Amino acid sequence: MFKLKELVQMRNRGGSTTSSGGGMGGGGGGMGGGCYTYPDAPATIGRVTPDVSFNRGIYMNGSMQMDDGNSVRVWGFTDGGGGMGGMGGQFPSPAIRVTEGQIVHTNLTVNGMMWLHTIHHHGIEPSTENDGVGHYSFDVDGTYTYQWKAAHAGTYFYHCHTNTVLHAEMGMYGALIIDPPEGAGTLFAGGPSYDVEAIWACDEFDSSWHNLNWDAGTCGEDVGLNTLNPDYFIITGVDGAQSAATNPAVAVTMSQQQTLLVRYINAGYLAQRIDFGGLDVEIHMSDGRALPQPETVTEIQSVSAERYDCIIKPNSSGVYTITIEYLDWVTDEVIGTAQTRITVT
Amino acid sequence: MFANYIKDLNIKKLKDIFIMKRREFLKFGTAGVASSMLGSLGLLTWVPRAHAITINKTYYITDGFVAQVDGQDVYFRGFSNSSGALNVPAEPIIAQQGDTLNITVVNTLGTTHSFVIDGVVDSGNIAGGASKTLSFTVNNAGSYLFYDKLNAPYNRLSGLHGGFAVMPSGSSNELYDGSATFVQQYFWVTNDVDPVWHDAIRVGDTPTTPFTPRYFTINGRNMRVPGHPEYTNVDRDSGYATDTRLVGSVGDRTLIRIQNVGLCRHSVHFHANHVEWLAVNGAPRSQVWKKDTLNLPNNKGSLDVIYPFESPPDAWPPVNTGHFPMHFHDEMTQTAGGGFYQFGLATTIEFK
Repeated sequence: MFKLKELVQMRNRGGSTTSSGGGMGGGGGGMGGGCYTYPDAPATIGRVTPDVSFNRGIYMNGSMQMDDGNSVRVWGFTDGGGGMGGMGGQFPSPAIRVTEGQIVHTNLTVNGMMWLHTIHHHGIEPSTENDGVGHYSFDVDGTYTYQWKAAHAGTYFYHCHTNTVLHAEMGMYGALIIDPPEGAGTLFAGGPSYDVEAIWACDEFDSSWHNLNWDAGTCGEDVGLNTLNPDYFIITGVDGAQSAATNPAVAVTMSQQQTLLVRYINAGYLAQRIDFGGLDVEIHMSDGRALPQPETVTEIQSVSAERYDCIIKPNSSGVYTITIEYLDWVTDEVIGTAQTRITVT
Repeated sequence: MFANYIKDLNIKKLKDIFIMKRREFLKFGTAGVASSMLGSLGLLTWVPRAHAITINKTYYITDGFVAQVDGQDVYFRGFSNSSGALNVPAEPIIAQQGDTLNITVVNTLGTTHSFVIDGVVDSGNIAGGASKTLSFTVNNAGSYLFYDKLNAPYNRLSGLHGGFAVMPSGSSNELYDGSATFVQQYFWVTNDVDPVWHDAIRVGDTPTTPFTPRYFTINGRNMRVPGHPEYTNVDRDSGYATDTRLVGSVGDRTLIRIQNVGLCRHSVHFHANHVEWLAVNGAPRSQVWKKDTLNLPNNKGSLDVIYPFESPPDAWPPVNTGHFPMHFHDEMTQTAGGGFYQFGLATTIEFK
């Protein structure tokens, strides 16, 4: 398998067989270029008729409007195949939601204008070919069908795993939810039920990274991807400076008689500390697995790509401010915050 | 004046050593990881004993350069297996509760260093050119780090560190008495490397620039991928190095003792299986959670986890073989020299 990949990789670099550690020349940009990529779109091994399927294309010309008036370029997955790059798309990318036990097809189409990308279903553990990691299998060039079975209910997310350091930062991710056989409204079989659901994917942007080409750095050029200096702090695609406090896509309104499930995803690279504004929070799951016993907390510290499923049963009405602090990876100092609210009537 | 003379002398001496060590390191790069403590596959092997024994081990504090994937030579120091080698990290030690350790440290450099296991032993100063033998008994099972705590954190970051494990008495398959069990075990020692800081350490200065790591290592190496000339080179490619690459068949439950000597907090992400999270910073957890992503504290933080080598649960059709990554998910760590995605802190998990 690797022999084939090496040939493809060499072809991609213009047939050079003299690849070396440094100084291979710039990565260039646009649709070509790139080093150590493995374009392919093989047939799916053991393909069967799925229980549910999703089509994903690519957009690379999206933008996110920030509270300070600036807009920042984002990339992502479209709902539907293709994606010609002229239409933009939603950020985060559209959710994938399935039921435990289903066989799922995620059909990813990447055309030559949008090279190169994959989908890694983070926390889902399929075969090598369906894991979506370029250098262990291939980066999708054409259409590939990722086939997997949803074994465990819980909260996951999917993201691009090509030049991941850049592509995930650019926004190429979306929520992935597996409901138990009981359906939405129950976290997992035998687990708690809920009336209101929020998905908080908390991320940070270093806007200086957001003008790079898809293959930036892959040939060894120093493009600064070792240093993240974020200037925007985001909850599920909404600026956490002001908008997320009231934007109904993020902020929660519920009655005191209801139970809230917060599916919290650390979608950034920095550690985060989420403070629930004085509310007691029962953690029932993390990373798609039920805890042996739920734990009651008032804040959670997480690192990149962790998920926590939090059940909240407010004791009293009021407006609770939820604060996500983003922590420096050396000092743990707070270098940014995002806020939203839970309003209990 | 005198101080400058000494400094100049040391620089000349150090320069000579660097040239020699670099040549010898390159030449003997593979020899550094071979020892009686390591099995033929490079992972830690252990046979339980009914009685405690005395373990003798000598480390030589040496230095030299290690070439990075982008061509930059970075200065390191190590607790090495011989005066002509540079081992970063040091060869790990595995002992059993009740054992007596006689550790001799030979400082071949001109600078003062130490050998410390927090809560177990502290050598105090070992002057340049001096040696010291430490005798101590180990009583508490678990995972430890030995390191040089002088000039903190610089000497530790420069490479003077290694893993130290104490097995429960008479046990071959537990982290601590009553823990979940395993059939094989590894040490992963991780580090964040700022070459500017390493160069300041080389000349005896205290780094003054903000910490800006450009290389991220697991047992001193980082990842190579298909198409790169060092791909599959066990001395250079952490995906193939025998002390990092997890190899097992279904059922080969594997203990990984992760020690983070670096300054950065990290996210550890396993593909293909969730791990059982047994301990953090040496403390057993009251509940064992199953996680695909874990919070690895910085500054000598640690995790002990078991990778269960179960059939990947979401594969359809089911599979029992394959290759998958373990990588840090704070993805800056997946770069080298500001680019080179895929050449960072990662290794391969092989279901054979």
